[in-house]
Amino acid sequence: MDDFLWRAGLGAALLAAAAGPLGCFVLWRRMAYLGESVAHMGLLGASLGLLIGVDALLGTACLAVVAALVMARAKDRSIPAGNLIGIVGHMGLALGFVLLATMETVRADLLGYLFGDVLALSEANVFVIAAVSLGVLAATALLWRPLLRLAAAPEIAAAEGYNTALAETAFLVLVALLVAFGLKVVGALLIVALLIVPPAAARPFARSPEAMAVLAAILGALAAPFGLVAAYAADAPAGPAIVLAAGAIFALSAVSARLWRQFAGGA
Amino acid sequence: MSEALIAARGLSISAGGTVILDDVSLAVHAREIVTLIGPNGSGKTTLLKALLGLQRAQGRITRRPGLKIGYVPQVFARDPSLPLTASGFLVLFAGLPEAEAALKRVEVAHTARRQLNALSGGELARVLLARAIAARPDLLVLDEPLAGVDVTGEAALYHLIAEIRDEMGCGVLLVSHDLHVVMAQANRVVCLNRHVCCEGDAASVVKDPAFRALFGARAAAELALYAHHHDHAHKPSGETVHGDG
Repeated sequence: MDDFLWRAGLGAALLAAAAGPLGCFVLWRRMAYLGESVAHMGLLGASLGLLIGVDALLGTACLAVVAALVMARAKDRSIPAGNLIGIVGHMGLALGFVLLATMETVRADLLGYLFGDVLALSEANVFVIAAVSLGVLAATALLWRPLLRLAAAPEIAAAEGYNTALAETAFLVLVALLVAFGLKVVGALLIVALLIVPPAAARPFARSPEAMAVLAAILGALAAPFGLVAAYAADAPAGPAIVLAAGAIFALSAVSARLWRQFAGGA
Repeated sequence: MSEALIAARGLSISAGGTVILDDVSLAVHAREIVTLIGPNGSGKTTLLKALLGLQRAQGRITRRPGLKIGYVPQVFARDPSLPLTASGFLVLFAGLPEAEAALKRVEVAHTARRQLNALSGGELARVLLARAIAARPDLLVLDEPLAGVDVTGEAALYHLIAEIRDEMGCGVLLVSHDLHVVMAQANRVVCLNRHVCCEGDAASVVKDPAFRALFGARAAAELALYAHHHDHAHKPSGETVHGDG
């Protein structure tokens, strides 16, 4: 196989492996909408980065982190937080798109930002994605208990004096970083799929949150090579193919869990 | 009496022009069970949340320095997407030996390896209580901890709360609907209807013949609570009418 495929496979697999455990919290807390809004703002960040001449990835990461933190503060307002986050996120997506389109001096690949451009990963890109993915994985493991308290019993944790605000901030920064650096791999429109589909596939086979996180990491990392091989064989776009592979794993998991229940229940 | 574990002075909360709490003062001391009673919408849960710092309020709340709280909320949402055993849940807040001891103490040791999602309402109520006591708090705050518990279970659970208070020496602040059990167990009863209507020693309150008589009639039960302080009454809106009854 060619080098670009190895780079794509490694980058996507590492990113998906980090997205699995973190995505479990997104799933448990039903915060997929927040990830999507952060990804949309990430597109605006990339546009702004290109506009002012800094690295697009840097712009993406900065704006994604800022957006996540600002959105998290939207809770006590008169507009329901979900609505506000939806509004802001889509404005970010629209504005980012308009900015990209009007920049005549910069040749930007719009489809690449929306659906990823994993086959174009450079060695430096892979290195950065690997570093961010391992960093996110390590942080998720270190912050496991505070994050899980926040997911399982946020009100109890806050009432009993645990620093839930700090855990929340850390969680949002991790999601924003993963989303920002995942933009290159599967794009702004699909990155949240890597956060929620592998955990959903892992759920039926997990009896503990730890097992679910580990399984989600493995299933996510498996989706990357499967998707790439399928994309290569069918000459299909790679990012969406990886997401479809994750979807196939989820379908397989759901069906086998159902069959297993029937088999075990009938026996 | 000794220094209060937690004390509120002049707490008021309004939301959208509606007064939810009006100048409420309350204190809980160590080894004391204080029970909040009052009709729906009287602000019981809001008062607890304000005391716990979950809701902003005007007024002053003081806590004994380093106060450790164990909280059982009125509603605990279990998420089917989160695989978590009762023991795994407790371990998020306490060590494993403490978690297992707490489950055993409230007589649900058999749930330790079972999924929270698979527990019955009564088992969940006990697991939540076990979680609250596992880290040995100074103050237990229980917001209707009996949701999903049947009548016999309810009395047993109240008895258990009193025993735990004796063993751990903690204070207990409790919201309840079941007046019979409250009268049998509580040290001190606070009747709340946006403001503190009356406050009394449960033992003396329960001896009041008028109070007892009224308790028999379910429909009159709530009225009965306010009958032993004849300084004001309530319109159906909850608005206070001052006068002699």
